[in-house]
Amino acid sequence: MPQLNPEFFVSQLFWLAVFFTFLFVFLWRVSLPRIATVLEKRQNKIDENLSSAKELQEQAMEIEKKINDQINKAKLETDEKIKETINALQEDVSSQLSSLDKDLEKKVSDAEKEILKSKDDQMKNINNEIANITKLTVGKITDIEMSDNEINKVIETHKGSFN
Amino acid sequence: MAAKDSPLKQFEIDPITNIELGGYNISFTNSSFAMLITVLVITLFLTLTVNTRSIIPSRMQLISELMYNFIAQLLSDTVGDNGKRYFPFVFSLFMFVLIGNMVGMIPYQFTFTSHIIVTFALAAVVFIGVTILGFINHGIKFFTFFYIPGVPFYMHPLLIPIEVISYLSRPISLSVRLFANMLAGHTLLKVFAGFVVSMPFFTGVFPLAFIVALTGLEILIAFLQAYVFAILTCLYINDAYHLH
Repeated sequence: MPQLNPEFFVSQLFWLAVFFTFLFVFLWRVSLPRIATVLEKRQNKIDENLSSAKELQEQAMEIEKKINDQINKAKLETDEKIKETINALQEDVSSQLSSLDKDLEKKVSDAEKEILKSKDDQMKNINNEIANITKLTVGKITDIEMSDNEINKVIETHKGSFN
Repeated sequence: MAAKDSPLKQFEIDPITNIELGGYNISFTNSSFAMLITVLVITLFLTLTVNTRSIIPSRMQLISELMYNFIAQLLSDTVGDNGKRYFPFVFSLFMFVLIGNMVGMIPYQFTFTSHIIVTFALAAVVFIGVTILGFINHGIKFFTFFYIPGVPFYMHPLLIPIEVISYLSRPISLSVRLFANMLAGHTLLKVFAGFVVSMPFFTGVFPLAFIVALTGLEILIAFLQAYVFAILTCLYINDAYHLH
């Protein structure tokens, strides 16, 4: 078996030492740090992206919260405004209604007064006419000239029977 | 069968250039050449594929990263945080054995891991390093490694020698495992290759088919043995940190 022939043992050990030492030092100093750098860089990049994604998510959530707050606030404000407007309108309407009522009442009472006045006037005219007619009729029939006072007295006593 | 055609002939060492240093023969041989190829393949691959250092890796860069992560994971699983310091060594060891085995799978190429002196030297480096590490970490208390707690006291005279022997046989088992696997696999391939030539007519096709299948198995074993070598090294390093 050639493996047990010691002729080349020293040579084998020597070259093994040379090549393995070279390999070890080269990998230790050159190759492995390179790969380690790449892996580290990639891990950093991943971590960075993850953390920035998290940050963005938090920001998005904050913005959403703000939007919701604003929507709620806007709702409340609108409700308040609607209430205010309704109240204002109601007040306005009621005040206008009351002033309208007043106007109407005044107009009614004015009209009543006018009617009463005109009734009185008419009554006076009717009395005068009655007096005149009575004077003329009495004059024609009896040739007695009656004074106005006498006629009025008679009319007054009989007034109740006209009505 | 003539010695020339022996299945073991493939393990013979041929000097390429004869070099002598201080009375020792340190000729550059086919074995040394295989080591040179191995080291070149590893260093060039791991350097060139990661040259761009891109965050999004190319396929080749991904292979380098996978190997890196494979051994890093292995170390952190077995040793934990202490293991990071030994990562370059374990990685070099794994790659050297793995690519050495793979280079050996190339036809007509020498397999230096099929030589006991090479595997024993590697195992001895691990063994001596781990033993020194144990004494650095625990001082004289490292000897309690051979003392198994929770065993009846009268068992200790039996158990302590067993523990010592099993500890001392670590470099042997580690080196012989790799050496024997490579030796057996390559010998078997060679034997069946001889059948391909010597069998009459077309019947040589059968051993040829067997060789094809066996080559696949050998590639698996090449990886597996490198992995076993690396994981046992990790376990030994772990033992140097954590006594029983």
